[in-house]
Amino acid sequence: MIRLYNVSKNYGSIYALRDINLRVSKGEFCYITGPSGAGKTTLLKLLYGAIRPSEGKLLVGTHDVSKMKGKTLHLLRRNIGIVFQDFKLIPRRTVADNIGLALEVLGVPRNVIRKRVSAVLSIVGLQGREDVYPQFLSGGEQQRVAVARAIINDPSILLADEPTGNLDGVMAMEVMEILQAINLRGTTVLVATHDAALMQRFPYRKLCFRNARLESS
Amino acid sequence: MNNSNLDLLQHIMRRALRSIWENLYLNAVAAGVIAASLLLLGVYVSTLLNLNSIVDTWNKDTHISAYFDTELSEQEKLSMRDQIFAMPQTEEVRYVSQADARNWLTKRVEGIEDTLEELGDDALPASLEITLHQNSSIASEIEKFAQELRDQGFNELDYGVEWVEKFNAFLQLLQMLGVLLGGLILIAATFLVTNTVHLVVYNRRHEMDIAKLVGASNLFIILPFLFEGVVQGLVGSLTAITGLWVIHQTLAIRLQEALLLEIAGELHFLNTQQLLLLSIVGISLGFLAAFIASTRFLRQAP
Repeated sequence: MIRLYNVSKNYGSIYALRDINLRVSKGEFCYITGPSGAGKTTLLKLLYGAIRPSEGKLLVGTHDVSKMKGKTLHLLRRNIGIVFQDFKLIPRRTVADNIGLALEVLGVPRNVIRKRVSAVLSIVGLQGREDVYPQFLSGGEQQRVAVARAIINDPSILLADEPTGNLDGVMAMEVMEILQAINLRGTTVLVATHDAALMQRFPYRKLCFRNARLESS
Repeated sequence: MNNSNLDLLQHIMRRALRSIWENLYLNAVAAGVIAASLLLLGVYVSTLLNLNSIVDTWNKDTHISAYFDTELSEQEKLSMRDQIFAMPQTEEVRYVSQADARNWLTKRVEGIEDTLEELGDDALPASLEITLHQNSSIASEIEKFAQELRDQGFNELDYGVEWVEKFNAFLQLLQMLGVLLGGLILIAATFLVTNTVHLVVYNRRHEMDIAKLVGASNLFIILPFLFEGVVQGLVGSLTAITGLWVIHQTLAIRLQEALLLEIAGELHFLNTQQLLLLSIVGISLGFLAAFIASTRFLRQAP
């Protein structure tokens, strides 16, 4: 599903990632872990095409991300769900509009979007909250809305960058349980985190980064 | 167009309309800038076209007054009139006798009778008022014709073509300046509208960043802005056309009040084609500004 061959990313003389070789199979759940500045977020950004590798080859599904142009990036991203630490919700849009955006860009009819939003809100435990604005939700609820948006178009890969970073213990566990449930449905899940308790509670493969290198896998 | 594309277009149009509504003030500013630029351009073009039209009328009316030598007999004068009427350049010849000239002047200038009496019968010579065919009304042709008249014995000729030519040259200069000025106005308007649209884009960059991250194509991002740009252009054009019409009406009334009836009657409003062209310029301006601003965003988007 995801393959990296000698991938490096540098900004001048500073390396954010150096010589990474990695393979993640379909349906796997992986943690990307390591101290701040180790290269976790850089790896995720490379995977969803926000930045390009300086060297090496990066394959995500059938896409060679290292060679992709800006105007074809949407084809990659339609196959990837992304969850951010700061949720990245649109404050002026309702929960339904925020989640439905991922289907709007595909040209899905409004009535279908409405049904799918309702279904996905049930998965994340927020049924009946379609018309609420994000600012009226708790942090945990906002993150669940972000997860709902990430999975509404059934992506084959889900990337989560510190999804529990802004949440307290209970809410973090709830979000992790949702991610786990999504993984059980066959979605490949990569979670960047340095929360050791979380990794202990939900034990999966760890990709440990340090000083821009993949230390252990 | 398949159903999916139709649904996509509906989503895009809904986003565009929502954006217009949510950024009403900035959209109004952009439309206002387009309207002001088109109004300036329209006033300039309209003025130039009207001046050209007036000069054209004057050109068509070109005629020569040829004064007879006072020693010639009435018979000789009439014979010369017939000769001139036979010339190919001549459209019409009117013989004005000494008596006609005296009558004409005494009717127009009050109290001139005594002065004319003192000057004697030869004060106003008889003349021919010659109207030329339109294709002979250009300066070089008139000059050639005047020379032929001199050869036939007319020593005194009066044809006010020189200043019309000078005025024509002035209009040509104005036209050249207009191209330059119009170009500058359009560049300045594009710059101003681009920056205004850029503010709208900036206002919505967070939303667009997210749309990009969930798989929106570049077209999905920029189409709503392009639609907004077209709407701004359309509103701006209609505002400018309304403004031009108000200016035209006001000016026509003022000229009539100032008893410049002939000029007021000659005053034309821009025709349908010219108004359509002005609207196309306005819409293109809005479209271009939106295109520049939104593609600038796309280059910076994640």
